[in-house]
Amino acid sequence: MFLIDAPLTARREVARGMFVISMHAPEIATAVRAGQFVNLGWSGGPLLRRPFSVYRVEGEHIEIVLKAVGAGTAELLTMQRGERLSCVGPLGHGYDFASRARSAVLISGGLGVAPMPLAARDARAAGLRVVWVHGARRAEELCHEADGDEVIWATDDGSLGTRGTAVSVAPDAEVVLACGPNRMLGAVAERWPDAQVAVETYMGCGTGVCLGCAVPLRRGGYDRACKEGPVYRAADVDWTALPSHLSYAVTV
Amino acid sequence: MSVAVGTMQMRGPVLAASGTFGYGTEVPLLERRALGGMVSKGIFLRPREGTTPPRIAETPSGMLNAIGLQGPGADALVRDYAPQWAGWDFPVLVNINGESASEYGELTARLDGVPGIAGFEINISCPNVEQGGLYFGNDPRAAAAVTEAVRRRTKLPLWVKLTPMVSDIGVIARAVESAGADALCAINTFVGMSIDLNAFKPRLSFRTGGLSGPAIRPLAVHLAHQAARAVRIPVLGIGGITRAEDALEFLVAGCTAVQVGTATFVNPNAIADVHDGIAAFLEGRGFKSLADLPRYLPRD
Repeated sequence: MFLIDAPLTARREVARGMFVISMHAPEIATAVRAGQFVNLGWSGGPLLRRPFSVYRVEGEHIEIVLKAVGAGTAELLTMQRGERLSCVGPLGHGYDFASRARSAVLISGGLGVAPMPLAARDARAAGLRVVWVHGARRAEELCHEADGDEVIWATDDGSLGTRGTAVSVAPDAEVVLACGPNRMLGAVAERWPDAQVAVETYMGCGTGVCLGCAVPLRRGGYDRACKEGPVYRAADVDWTALPSHLSYAVTV
Repeated sequence: MSVAVGTMQMRGPVLAASGTFGYGTEVPLLERRALGGMVSKGIFLRPREGTTPPRIAETPSGMLNAIGLQGPGADALVRDYAPQWAGWDFPVLVNINGESASEYGELTARLDGVPGIAGFEINISCPNVEQGGLYFGNDPRAAAAVTEAVRRRTKLPLWVKLTPMVSDIGVIARAVESAGADALCAINTFVGMSIDLNAFKPRLSFRTGGLSGPAIRPLAVHLAHQAARAVRIPVLGIGGITRAEDALEFLVAGCTAVQVGTATFVNPNAIADVHDGIAAFLEGRGFKSLADLPRYLPRD
């Protein structure tokens, strides 16, 4: 874990209202694994940091993907090249590629695309053939940067790719990785109990001390999205007790 | 920068507040040379699951939390954490909780004498539990009864963490001082509530939560000052400290030391930054030690 003052170096739009921003964070770029995240703060920003999955690594730069879903992310998107972000990371426990499997399917819904480019990288490095299924409500909300040995698009309205959800159109594979709204991950858990899913929670510290990002477990009790998570075995999470939608009602 | 809180000697006046530093094993970045001491996450005798999420909500310059004192219980604390603390070069106090005065006493008896535990902070001010917590903190007789129950079972330093949710903090402060407290910690979180305008219900599943962060600092400085005026024992100031200047406000207002909490969530090095900033302030103003810092503390 590092604490780095990272200058913002680039920004691009990858779907309507969805942006990728890059920052120069060499130590984190080297250390980060798929599914891990960084916790970002900035001068004049809200009190608490904002957690983001690392989207891609380019040399000494890391990228995150975001939409203006609340006051904090809206502020982040107004920042200019050269402005500095305070970046803590890499944090959390990411996807595991230790198995002897040959095939992986990556399933992402909307902003759930966030950890997938690194997951595709690490899956390929582990010798897996990667099928990436990316879904959104409409064509213009699909992140157009999905990549893999095979890419399948899904939209709720059928405006691009197959009509349906990413989960419903995904093929089976030995390794299933997913990220998206918690509702979607609950559906993943029903079809593939052993899938590895990255959950979304409110987060306070990101370092394991505040216990604010509690994830309810099927065996009872809670653990921490920021430490034991954010990636879980799908069947281990009590999806009925995990809030299915974050309202991002930050009043700052 | 060394300081004494009663009989407890510490190398600096900045401590980690309970609930914001786990068991001291989680935050890897902090430069520990700066840590005067640590108060561990609040513990009950038995394990507790904590509240259902959402547990936190951000508010202007602050945050609400309702964690519900999730924890592994006294046996796990003695087995897993105290042995580590025993090797550390700063004191660790355990924040203790119970649903009755006798349960506080029982917990103290379990922990007293365990190597690594340097003292106790009695929590009579947690707003996020159904039984106990705040109930003991806003009644002087109940607060004194809990303090006595703990005092009977330990000779270690005994601090009492006060709630701000009272009409006169001085009354509670004097009651626990008389009951044997060695120091007071002022204050715990304020009870607050925030509404989700999409769901038309509270943002926290527990309905209410404890408000912390810079939002409460002027309230906390005032209450810590009021407590310090009311008693002869030392007071540790807590509430919204993120910078050295914030800590200095508490110190000038009559506190002997301070605890930093929510700031650590944001800046894992906050305690070191506050500590170093106090040292720089003292040097810049020509004070040789904390004892030279002018205080504003007219006695009641």
